[in-house]
Amino acid sequence: MKVQVLIIEDNLKYKNDTLVWALEDKFDADNVVFEPDPKEALDYIKTNLDKNIIVFLDIQFPKGELDGHEILAEIRKMSELIPVILWSGVNENQEKFSDFINHNAFRFVSKTATLAEIMPIVDDAVSFFENNLDNTIEDWIIQKDGDKDKPVYFTGDGHSYSLNDILNHIRQQTDVGKSFSKKLNQLTIDLLLRNKKRLND
Amino acid sequence: MSKQSKKKVQENFLNFNFDISAYRLLGRELITDRITALFEIVKNSYDANANLVEIEFISLNPLNDTSKIIIKDDGIGMYFEDLRDRWMVIGTSSKRRNRTSPEPYLRKVTGKKGIGRFAVDLLGSKLTLSTKRKDENRWIYLETDWTKYNELEEQQLSLPLGMEEGANKKKDFFTDIKNRYWFGKNDDKAGHGTILEIEDINDPWTEDDIKRACKELARLVSPNKGIQKYPFNIRIKSEYEGMKDLEIKPLSYIEFATISIELKSSKEKETQEIAVFENGKLLKKDTVKQSFGLIDFYLYYFDQPAKRKFKEKFNIDIDGIKIYRDGIITTPFAETEADQNKQKDILGIDKRRYSGFFDKINSRDLLGFVELTDENNAGLIEATNRQDFLDNKEWRSLKDFIIDQIHQIEKCLKNNKEQIRKNTKSNLNRATADLSGIKTLVKEVKETAPKELHEKLQLIDSSLSKLQGTVNKSIVDYTKLEEESKQKESLYFSLVSLQTYAAMFSHMTKHTIGHVLRDAEYFSSRFPNEKLEGRFKVISSRIYDEFLTLRKGVDFMLKYAQTDNEFEDINIHDLINNLFISIYKPTFDLNHIKSELILDDKLILHYNKKALEDIFDNLISNSIKALKTVKEGIIKCSGVIENKKLILKFSDNGLGIHSDDRFRIFEIFFTKTAEDGGAGIGLYMVKNRIEAMQGTIEVTDSEFKPNGATFKIVLPFKK
Repeated sequence: MKVQVLIIEDNLKYKNDTLVWALEDKFDADNVVFEPDPKEALDYIKTNLDKNIIVFLDIQFPKGELDGHEILAEIRKMSELIPVILWSGVNENQEKFSDFINHNAFRFVSKTATLAEIMPIVDDAVSFFENNLDNTIEDWIIQKDGDKDKPVYFTGDGHSYSLNDILNHIRQQTDVGKSFSKKLNQLTIDLLLRNKKRLND
Repeated sequence: MSKQSKKKVQENFLNFNFDISAYRLLGRELITDRITALFEIVKNSYDANANLVEIEFISLNPLNDTSKIIIKDDGIGMYFEDLRDRWMVIGTSSKRRNRTSPEPYLRKVTGKKGIGRFAVDLLGSKLTLSTKRKDENRWIYLETDWTKYNELEEQQLSLPLGMEEGANKKKDFFTDIKNRYWFGKNDDKAGHGTILEIEDINDPWTEDDIKRACKELARLVSPNKGIQKYPFNIRIKSEYEGMKDLEIKPLSYIEFATISIELKSSKEKETQEIAVFENGKLLKKDTVKQSFGLIDFYLYYFDQPAKRKFKEKFNIDIDGIKIYRDGIITTPFAETEADQNKQKDILGIDKRRYSGFFDKINSRDLLGFVELTDENNAGLIEATNRQDFLDNKEWRSLKDFIIDQIHQIEKCLKNNKEQIRKNTKSNLNRATADLSGIKTLVKEVKETAPKELHEKLQLIDSSLSKLQGTVNKSIVDYTKLEEESKQKESLYFSLVSLQTYAAMFSHMTKHTIGHVLRDAEYFSSRFPNEKLEGRFKVISSRIYDEFLTLRKGVDFMLKYAQTDNEFEDINIHDLINNLFISIYKPTFDLNHIKSELILDDKLILHYNKKALEDIFDNLISNSIKALKTVKEGIIKCSGVIENKKLILKFSDNGLGIHSDDRFRIFEIFFTKTAEDGGAGIGLYMVKNRIEAMQGTIEVTDSEFKPNGATFKIVLPFKK
């Protein structure tokens, strides 16, 4: 599974921080993007919604620009599937955390953290992807033979979707994608409760 | 379910229209102590246009079958419909719909969210309510037994999850609780109002409990009567001496206060009295009507002995300034919060940090009554939770007004203190002069006196010498004490700037530590590796740079650990430059601020380095706050030499200083940036430091007109 890391950080000093290098060592230099401009960073996410992106997000930005709170809110408007690791030198108990929690931040990492402390969090983010519905579908598509463009899902209003379509819709977090995810979850729970299916077979 | 018809009258029973969760939430969480409960009930009476509320405590210590609390008012009372549609319903409080009580009283309603009725539950379990409107010809009675509720509550909580067997017997929900009601005899036109007769009292009321209740209730009404359009009186009846039939009167504080200021306003002339400290006196002056409207303001200051006396007399704490509207307290609204630290400080008096230092006063030294009227102060609007006012222009200007008045008292106190100090000193000096006068006298007497007295005169002379020694020592001690207190003040200054600096420093070090830590980690886990050679080099030079930054920060911080009075030759250009390009660099970058320094780089001042750094440190922090909302900030410092004096101009293009504030800005605790952590000490300290150097500082026209601020600093060359 391919993973990209996007670091949103206004302080250019961090472009050469060993954290960036360590991430490059892990995911290859091509997959680590450092972006000091919040607007550019949001654009990047928007055009790459079909990819697995882990975001490192600074909280304090120069005035006049979006700050970490606002950037996270913007990201969440696009997708719930992106793990956003907050990365800040701000005194932790001074920050207002409620909106971070509401916007489902993945973790909080202090700027004084060591690589040994940060990398396991990155690993967690990777496994978050692995367990995600969209990646499960992707694995399915890769592993199973058969026509991936054959319609398998039909909605009440007459539309039909193939596995590839569904994958795209989920990644783009469209209404169709969200509704499919929800229904699939409901179905799974229903099947489990009625003992129709054991997941572990 | 949601239909109104659900509240149908069943024979002679009424149903409450709420359930367990609402009951618990509102009743038990909002009303937590008995005094608050009493308050809530009394507020209900007030809202019902009562002129008089009587609270009768019957046989409450110890509790027995006859124990009762009866609360009786002469308010408008309730129609049967009110009882059914309002009293029995929560959440749809009539009080929330109407912000004033019925004509002609038009009182601002005080009961919050209509939960006053739940207060009854905290006092006792059984309630008999009787009520009558003036135009009705019979009383209505309603009996509510809360003990039944408690039983039901337990039943509900123990409700089994599986309802399959044996549960077909329908359980009662709260909505089904029956409250018996009946009517009194017809054609009884006498009286009106509401009477709550509470039985099954929960806890005994001792004499002290009732006394406390009296004192707390006394705060409900302003002590400055006459302002009430319609009187509101509370009477207490109990078996205790002194409280057998007691009209609760607001406490009279004036006789205990050390300083009293009573400010009135004139409607005809549209003038407002204010207190001003001028020429050593606290004076009353007339000024124009303020934007919040005309008010009366009574402010009392208590020093330590006065506080002690006050406490002995009333056994309550002095707890700051309260705001009354039309004679009834508005906010902090009649919450009997005993813990002063938890009480609300809506006026921001105690937000003036370090108020314990520098002889400043806080809420615990002050009692105040701000008297608003609906008519004169319509712009001041109580927030719906009644814990604060809407944050508008009027409210802010009222806050400023009050703080400024407190400040006048502070000035007066400071002056008094200095006066006492001066007097003590001159008295001591006079004493030495007197003593030497007496000594001369004794000497003269000795010359003419008969021999047999000489021995005694010698004795007197040597005692006088001893006495003189003592007085002289006292003078020395006193001078020392004065110096010590100056040093103490200077120490406080240092602590305050240290606190500001520490916040910045720790932010800076966080980044440094992070970089270096990860660098070392990366290096140790990957070295040697030819491919990473370039990175290793970056790491080593970065560690070097980061530690240089850290060293500067630590050096700067070290000045706080050094003694205060070492003088040295200081290159003023280098000193400011160091602040601009290394100490404050990260903050400037973050806030998009450019710095500019135009100054001869060979100027040397012989002075205390820390004091100088404090000055510029504070000016810079001050500018940063003023530049908070400015996109392209500039902080500029330029200097020229005129008549052997260094004239420095320190400017920014920030918010600027309002012309009214030009002279106040150097006063201690004057701050417009409390939200950004401004304590109002920085510029005061700057001024003190500069004056200690025989220099001056003033606000002049801004270099960046129309925005910004410029400080002109004149420093003499000491050499």
